[in-house]
Amino acid sequence: MKSRRLLPALAWLAGSTLAHAGPDDYVVMPTVEYGEREIELRIGTASGEGGEPRASAASIAFGYGVTPWWATEIYGKWHRNGATSFDAIEWENRFELTEPGQYFADLGFLVEIERPRDRAEGYELRIGPLLQKDIGAVQTNFNVLLERHYRSSEPEATELGYQWQLKYRWRESFEFGAQGFGDVGKWNDWASAHAQEHIAGPAIFGKLKLGGRQAIKYDAAVLFKLSDAAPRQTWRAQIEYEF
Amino acid sequence: MLRIASLCLLAVAGGAVAAEPEFALTIRDHRFTPAEIRIPANQKVRLVVDNQDATPEEFDSHALNREKVIPGGSKAVIFVGPLAPGRYPFMGEFNAATAQGAVIAQ
Repeated sequence: MKSRRLLPALAWLAGSTLAHAGPDDYVVMPTVEYGEREIELRIGTASGEGGEPRASAASIAFGYGVTPWWATEIYGKWHRNGATSFDAIEWENRFELTEPGQYFADLGFLVEIERPRDRAEGYELRIGPLLQKDIGAVQTNFNVLLERHYRSSEPEATELGYQWQLKYRWRESFEFGAQGFGDVGKWNDWASAHAQEHIAGPAIFGKLKLGGRQAIKYDAAVLFKLSDAAPRQTWRAQIEYEF
Repeated sequence: MLRIASLCLLAVAGGAVAAEPEFALTIRDHRFTPAEIRIPANQKVRLVVDNQDATPEEFDSHALNREKVIPGGSKAVIFVGPLAPGRYPFMGEFNAATAQGAVIAQ
């Protein structure tokens, strides 16, 4: 039973602490494509506030659909905040827990472990359920993610974030909609409204088939601040080569 | 934490219904049989896809928002609908020149 795979991850988190979404963060999907390999590039840049420099991030990844219900991906991540530097290695695992369309909504689960280059940051774990529901030609996604640093020099706390997406499935090569990301602070003691980060804005998506197993997938968004602590404007984009 | 898990389970299972009607689809020689499959409109159905080829195929339909790889010599269940009346094309992505079909909801 697929739901049994959820339990070890929940048990691990219960015993132990989020970081806010980077400018190249993306909305994670609950579905897995078995046997598919992909090379993925993500970039993002967020405007600086109060004289701070613009924060930019990029990552490159290789992913593989190991089983019909498990896809794994390894990322190398860079960031630029004044100067460009290597940031972290990340291991992402997506689990498809229900068959698409079987229930009211589709359920997946994310387990992501990041090892920052700065060892003082320890390890970062991000986990949470991934939800998807089709309403006619509109695909809706909502993810609730918990994030915690381990073995870090900073006090450890489990923080709560979310991601959402609306996509009108117009044509396969060009679809449009909206995306949003947010962090509310500690999962059980939310930060004040002005300290929370919420961003949202229009997004475009598409898949260009190249024949056989090969395809190029893309999505991009411009996200605007919805709360005081969020960057005024964030541009993010992702392109994948599937083979 | 438990509240979040419970809400997710409720969201997923909230609309679960029993025993959807089942329709069979076969892949052989990189073609779908039947090439057009008629299902009731406004009702969820199970498509049981039997890939009788030795090679894998990907059932791919943008109209149905479904992508599923079916290994050679195996079966897969694909849930479809409820669909408004209409024609919803699908294809076998790995052999798109021959593997073409459509779900007709009526």
